[in-house]
Amino acid sequence: MTNSIREIRDADCLFIIGSNTTEAHPVLAMEMKRAALRGAKLIVADPRKIWLSGMADHYLQLKPGTDVALLNGMAHVIIAEGLTDSGFITEHTEGFEAVRAQVRDWTPERASAVCGVPADEIRAAARLYATTHRAGIYYTLGITEHTHGTDNVYGLSNLVLMTGHLGRESSGLNPLRGQNNVQGANDAGASPVFYPGYQRVTDPEAQAHFEAAWGVPLDPDPGLNLNEMMKEIRSGGLRGLFVMGEDILMSEPNVSELEKSMPALEALIVQDIFLTLTAERADVVFPASCFAEKEGTFTNSERRVQRVRKAVEPPGQARADWEILLALTERCGYTGNAGMTPPEIYDEMAGLCDKFAGISYARIEAEGGLQWPCPTSDHPGTTYLHSDGPLRGKAQFIPIDYRRSAELPDPDWPMLLSTGRTLYHYNAATQTRREDGVNDKQQTCFVELHPHDGGTLGVTDQQEVTVQTRRGEIVAAVRLTTRVAPGRIWLPMHFSEARANLLTVDDGDGVTGTAEYKVCAARIVC
Amino acid sequence: MAHPDGNRADDKAVSIVIDGRQVNARAGETLLQAAERIGVTIPTLCHDERLAPTGACRMCLVESSDSRRMVPACRHPVVDGLVVQTETERVARHRRGLLSLYAADVDVVPGTELQAHIRRYGLDPGLPAANAPRAGRPDDDNRYVLFQPESCIVCARCTRYCDEIEAVSAITLAHRGSQTTIATVDDVSLLDSTCELCGGCIDTCPTGALVERKSAHRQATFPALKPVRTTCNYCGVGCQFDLQVDAAANEVVRVTSPAPGETTNDGNLCVKGRFAYGFIGHPERLTTPLIRDEAGELVATDWDTALDRAAALLQKTAARHGANSLGFISSSRCTNEENYLVQKLSRAAFGTNNCHQCAAT
Ligand code: SF4
Ligand code: SF4
Ligand code: FES
Repeated sequence: MTNSIREIRDADCLFIIGSNTTEAHPVLAMEMKRAALRGAKLIVADPRKIWLSGMADHYLQLKPGTDVALLNGMAHVIIAEGLTDSGFITEHTEGFEAVRAQVRDWTPERASAVCGVPADEIRAAARLYATTHRAGIYYTLGITEHTHGTDNVYGLSNLVLMTGHLGRESSGLNPLRGQNNVQGANDAGASPVFYPGYQRVTDPEAQAHFEAAWGVPLDPDPGLNLNEMMKEIRSGGLRGLFVMGEDILMSEPNVSELEKSMPALEALIVQDIFLTLTAERADVVFPASCFAEKEGTFTNSERRVQRVRKAVEPPGQARADWEILLALTERCGYTGNAGMTPPEIYDEMAGLCDKFAGISYARIEAEGGLQWPCPTSDHPGTTYLHSDGPLRGKAQFIPIDYRRSAELPDPDWPMLLSTGRTLYHYNAATQTRREDGVNDKQQTCFVELHPHDGGTLGVTDQQEVTVQTRRGEIVAAVRLTTRVAPGRIWLPMHFSEARANLLTVDDGDGVTGTAEYKVCAARIVC
Repeated sequence: MAHPDGNRADDKAVSIVIDGRQVNARAGETLLQAAERIGVTIPTLCHDERLAPTGACRMCLVESSDSRRMVPACRHPVVDGLVVQTETERVARHRRGLLSLYAADVDVVPGTELQAHIRRYGLDPGLPAANAPRAGRPDDDNRYVLFQPESCIVCARCTRYCDEIEAVSAITLAHRGSQTTIATVDDVSLLDSTCELCGGCIDTCPTGALVERKSAHRQATFPALKPVRTTCNYCGVGCQFDLQVDAAANEVVRVTSPAPGETTNDGNLCVKGRFAYGFIGHPERLTTPLIRDEAGELVATDWDTALDRAAALLQKTAARHGANSLGFISSSRCTNEENYLVQKLSRAAFGTNNCHQCAAT
């Protein structure tokens, strides 16, 4: 997030796209509700009606996967009606002309024909966003989990840059991180292209920096991203896998293909707190600790590094993940970490990254959390980014064109399927499904279907049906609801006996590798 | 937070005197806010800084030079030149009187705001409460939020929280006079209402009338639990909360939110953060390392054996097919330190950049 959570309540316009915030980020949504109750205007763009669309001034029910058309249409209106911030564009950006040329043909009418949102709604939303001083954009996986996820993000950033809605309180571009420490995992270099602190593995200077610190030669070539790793397992290129705290057989797309190729792995090491589907296949399973049993830090969506503190002992012989990793690394022949403690590990990382250099456990203790960039020990941290203009010189406009999703409905597979998270469970639900109180709310898998389609198919509410795609099928109970539009279905990803990812496609975004969980073609069989 | 544009906050400066001390305040502030800034504590019950003040409970009455009668500090605006007294004999007499009424009306729960006030004013409830005939919801079968009508003072913090912050209006004041109670529409279970089980009503309740059902039977021991401030492990908002620990039993008994204003989440939590902690001590947790034996079964082993086997398997694979035949999947559920260590295992121990984690947004 370029802004802080606390700034949301003071916004005057919130543009929420591809984020079912009340279910995926409930406490942040409370800030949005507060802003709306205070009079802030809400624009909600989501293929599925969500709680916040009921509060919205403009609810844009676009077709899944057509975000680029909508965003280009909005950009067209903003430019055509002279609502750009030309001072900001000249001073802080480059490449505007290319975007202007790109969106010239994207009239609201043309955009509407692709995305299904009425042209006048596109106009109204564009005007509202462009002309409100404190206007912030909030998005999450509904934007990124597409083969064109990166394009979607560029589309949003073009809107931000042409209106100059950046570098101020409550105005910016705010990805809401899906999991507790997505931000921190990226920051710490769990990435095939970045060392810690977003230093590129292909940058010889960065390589030299880390080689000197760690005392070993490093690989100058980028590695495989997760999506590529999964495909390399299938093609035999990847023979050994270490997996910490993820159930890839639940969470990865098109999982039946992956499942078939798992036996080809010569080494599968899993570190987790439960015997997950993936752990059941492992050669070695390490019993790990949950957040309440160890010391460390998480970094939230607003880049705030906060402490994780040990409250109870782990069960039996289970150990903290960091302890296991230190022991394993040493036995794999690298001794540079031996005997370190969590604050020492943090210090080593911070010492190698300008962005975090001023952060330490002692300061977090004293100040209750610090937002990076925080380059020095007397720097207060950064609540919102780009207050003196974009970080690296000028921000780049990037023209984008609408591309279709990888797999769209056809006569044999007539329904468009999207998957997602609900309020009451969390991802693979290894934790939440062991909790009776939330199971009362959601015990089993369901599939949302428009009543009109229910009528055509002759299915009734709560009826069990089979949801099929080219890759697999699962059984789920129908929920007839107008939350979804006709022709579209939605189901949650939390149920191991009805794995949504048996259905999804594994085509990934060209840049990030993030898979297209939000769009594939399906049919319902009763 | 400051408003650089100056377009919303009315920051006209005023000056008042509280208990003989000069205080600078902004027009639009309340006496309570001004007093808090100079460290003067005025007891409150129905006040929650996140909610619009109602002045319902009368706990915070103080003497103010602009009124003959005492005024509620939680909603009385500062006016330039005002002289306020928060600790006169008249104020104390009022507090003792009010608290003895509450004490006679409800069961006082240990560790609550109400009990703290009663202690401060030296009132022992003594007699069992002559409970008002207030209805509960005995058939509400949700497992998280329990309403104990015998402890409710009808301050309406819970219903206002549900209206103004969670904004789902699942609970409401119902009935009249001494029978006024906290109800749902048609008295349905919270599971069948618009309630999202955020538990914010529990945390804001000053009397313990609302309590987490799972731990309600231990309510009397809450003050003895040890709070451990930490960060939630679910979504990316990063709420801070306190794990309330029974150290002797090595058990997390409940989760509470920090006071409003203290952390980013402003005293709020969601259903998962506040209630879904049962996995911590769950019987299905892995408790020993496992390795695959000759017969292909996963069997328990000791750490040395498991670590050696894992290292040997990874090294053998790297030796046979090259380091880039290995992949390391780190976790956005784990700490920064652990993610740093996984990428270092991948890069420094094996020399491959095949390191990623499970979520890209
Ligand atoms: S339940 Fe608690 S918060 Fe609600 S009215 Fe009663 S005392 Fe006040
Ligand atoms: S748990 Fe949350 S939503 Fe439910 S009644 Fe209480 S405040 Fe309202
Ligand atoms: S706290 Fe002021 S009237 Fe209740």
